[in-house]
Amino acid sequence: MTIDPETLMAYADGELDPVAAKRVEKAIGADPALAAQVERHRKLTASLRAAFEPVAAAPVPSSIEAMLSESAKVVPLAPKPVRRERSFWMGAVAASLVAGILAGPLVFPRDPGGIAMRDGTTIASGEVAKALATQLASAQAPDAPVRVGVTFRDGAQRWCRTFESGTTGGIACAQGNDWRIERLYGGMSRQERDYRQAGSATAAMMADAQAMMAGDALDAATERAARDAGWR
Amino acid sequence: MRFEDELLAYLPRLRRFAHALARNATDADDLLQASVERAILKRDQWEPGTRLDSWMYRLMRNLWIDTVRVETRRGETFVPPEAGERVGATGGQEMAVELGKVVQAMRTLPPEQREAVALVMIEGFAYKEAAAILDIPMGTLTSRLVRGREALMARLGEAT
Repeated sequence: MTIDPETLMAYADGELDPVAAKRVEKAIGADPALAAQVERHRKLTASLRAAFEPVAAAPVPSSIEAMLSESAKVVPLAPKPVRRERSFWMGAVAASLVAGILAGPLVFPRDPGGIAMRDGTTIASGEVAKALATQLASAQAPDAPVRVGVTFRDGAQRWCRTFESGTTGGIACAQGNDWRIERLYGGMSRQERDYRQAGSATAAMMADAQAMMAGDALDAATERAARDAGWR
Repeated sequence: MRFEDELLAYLPRLRRFAHALARNATDADDLLQASVERAILKRDQWEPGTRLDSWMYRLMRNLWIDTVRVETRRGETFVPPEAGERVGATGGQEMAVELGKVVQAMRTLPPEQREAVALVMIEGFAYKEAAAILDIPMGTLTSRLVRGREALMARLGEAT
């Protein structure tokens, strides 16, 4: 089987859906040259990031920062910014409606069962927060109240994890000591221990997670290492 | 968060993008400054609730493309980048940057490959997001990305 260069690159970048990724993995297993090429792609990404990192780490010229602080003083705040959490919720609800996945109740911020609001952001609390911080996808009790799915880094280099709790699913990313809820999904149907029959809400969540990933989803060993390092 | 505050938080990343696009550090900081100026002027065109960072990357990239076109007309595109230049000379915050081989190699890429490589590999955008910022189809993005990477690999050899 031949793998074209675009597909191999997309695999190295973690851009393929799980089915396509499996196909590439099979080809790689049979051809060490392909494996070496994937390795070169990842090394190149790492050296590009390293080469430009000093620019992002250096102080921004103060004249440019000054332009912004001046503007903040002078420009009248005519278009009042929409409050963030509101736009987030409206967006989440609209997205669920569009996707036709509002089959079950969405958990709203004041629900005590694992999601809370603090300083205008939505964060995980209770069981959900605990599961996100400690639970490994590779070692979950079958009756765990919260199940963790994939773990990955997003474009901002934050650790993010998908989770499901009852009929609610979501994607949360570690920020400081909190897990910020980036997306929520209603209508998760948990088919007892049979994820192959996962419904469209799960599929939507996985597709969104895929779109957020800056690299690959973690395997069991790296997931454990990231947890043990406290998601830093 | 206010527009200015949010933008302020993105400045280091936007500056990195400018340095990946421009042919030298002076042009890069000029590009950053011009982008911030234009963003302040056009702030009403940004829809609150949408991603400000993507909006800024698009704005900066469009400004840069304009200058690339002017340079191409003047036949200036192949001016070799000077080595050992300084970054951030304004404002008294100076940082000597030794231009690594990687940075040099980046600057030899054609603009349409360089912007794809910068957004995906350096800035960490997903293909879909990068294609949206550049306003090109996914297939175009991936073929530019693959050609850019192959050129970089060929140039850098096993050193990468």
